[in-house]
Amino acid sequence: MAKKEFSFNEAMIEIEDILGNIENGELDIDKLSVEVKRASELIKQCQKKLRAIEEEINSTFKDMV
Amino acid sequence: MNDKLSLTELQLIIRDSLYMALPDMYWVVAEISEIKENYAGHCYLELIEKHPDEKNVRARARAIIWSNRYQFLKSFFENITGETLKEGLNILVKIKVEYHEVYGLSLVITDIDPAFTIGEMAVKRQLVIKRLEQEGVFSMNKELEISPVPQRIAIISSKNAAGYSDFINHLTGNSFGYVFYTALIESAMQGPETEQGVISALNKIADKSGLFDLVVIIRGGGSQSDLSWFDSYNIAYHVTQFPLPVITGIGHEKDVSVTDMVANISLKTPTAVADFLIEKISLAENRLFEICTEIKNISRTIIENNRTRIETSAIKLIPLARIMMNELKDKLSEKIIDIINVGKEFTFKAGLIPANQESKLNSAVKSFLTVKKTSLERTSQNFISSTLNALSRKNIRLDGLDNTLNILNPDNVLKRGYTITSLYGIIIKRSGLLKKDDLIDTQFSDGKIRSRVTHLKSNVKR
Repeated sequence: MAKKEFSFNEAMIEIEDILGNIENGELDIDKLSVEVKRASELIKQCQKKLRAIEEEINSTFKDMV
Repeated sequence: MNDKLSLTELQLIIRDSLYMALPDMYWVVAEISEIKENYAGHCYLELIEKHPDEKNVRARARAIIWSNRYQFLKSFFENITGETLKEGLNILVKIKVEYHEVYGLSLVITDIDPAFTIGEMAVKRQLVIKRLEQEGVFSMNKELEISPVPQRIAIISSKNAAGYSDFINHLTGNSFGYVFYTALIESAMQGPETEQGVISALNKIADKSGLFDLVVIIRGGGSQSDLSWFDSYNIAYHVTQFPLPVITGIGHEKDVSVTDMVANISLKTPTAVADFLIEKISLAENRLFEICTEIKNISRTIIENNRTRIETSAIKLIPLARIMMNELKDKLSEKIIDIINVGKEFTFKAGLIPANQESKLNSAVKSFLTVKKTSLERTSQNFISSTLNALSRKNIRLDGLDNTLNILNPDNVLKRGYTITSLYGIIIKRSGLLKKDDLIDTQFSDGKIRSRVTHLKSNVKR
């Protein structure tokens, strides 16, 4: 059974979390940089997931038919 | 007449009797258990009656619709009900009883009332819906949440159905470039095999439900007939129990089947389903963009605020620094003045006396004077060099440092009005060493004088 190692939904939750923290103003400048980097990384991965075919999933589906 | 009848005779008697008893047309309710069309276009049916819950057939008869009549009735029926004449349908038909000595009894159908069938179908459908509601399962699939990014799709359809290829083309050709993973699990989508096929497909998918985000049941683009196969209680029930959301696009414009009603989402056509999936992902991506923009904006603001903080502090710092610098300079100047004053004191103690000061000098001292003269010179020298050392040790470079040294130079001291008094070549620094009538020499900056002591006055109390 193919397991999604990167879950779009979990990533979304984490990204929204980071946004919440930034909005609160609870982050100092140093943490801000770290969190923004993390968010940026997650967003990139999400977008990749939408458009780049993941071979692992693709081959599983081909077998199904 | 003989007691014996020929078969033909018997049949004809039956025929005539039947004709006498039932000469007219009669409207009859029956269920189609079989229906076929032959090469000549005639329609042959088997009609039955049974209680819906019973397996046993109470009555059965053959029926026929002659070809020219059949063409008309067929399309008439389909237009109104949206269904073709098929097995399982309950119909209300106008018949004429015919009996043929060879072929036996048959009912010739001359007319049909589609409204009856609609009513029957509606009743059947209502019963199914009621049952699902009473069992509490009607909304179960609707309660499942569709994943925000539904990329992995299980499709129940027929490979040759136009709907399937429309669906796949639409998905793969989406203008956003989104990727979908699809698997087709085939089933008949009309006819009596529909129920078994769809349920079996659902079961196969349920076994691997972890692989998929949802199931899509799609069928034929826009055809109106045969929707009632999806009014089946069994299909609908399986959909309600399914662990993934089920979306239907079974291509019916007028009506919805029970399966449509219990599905998570029901749409009109396979293309509409494809659009729905693409739209869902687009929404999720928009949310990503929004968050991205939000993060950028807020971060920018935070950075701007901090930059302002720094600049404000810098602006305050510069004048403060200047003030500090000036204070230090002042302190330094004071130190210089102190050094000069100390120098003055030393010079005074070394025996240099201002010329305008009146003083009475005491009598001379013998060996004491020699020592004093040497030590005086040494002290002056020491003072000068230790001052120089102190200054250089402290590494003070100031404007006027040379000035200071110049000030302390005995020649310059003389220039400022100080004099050196000596007796017989010996420098006197105390009046107490002189006595009346001593001849003393006084050194000025520009020369020497000789004078005689006339008066002595001591500042020291004896």
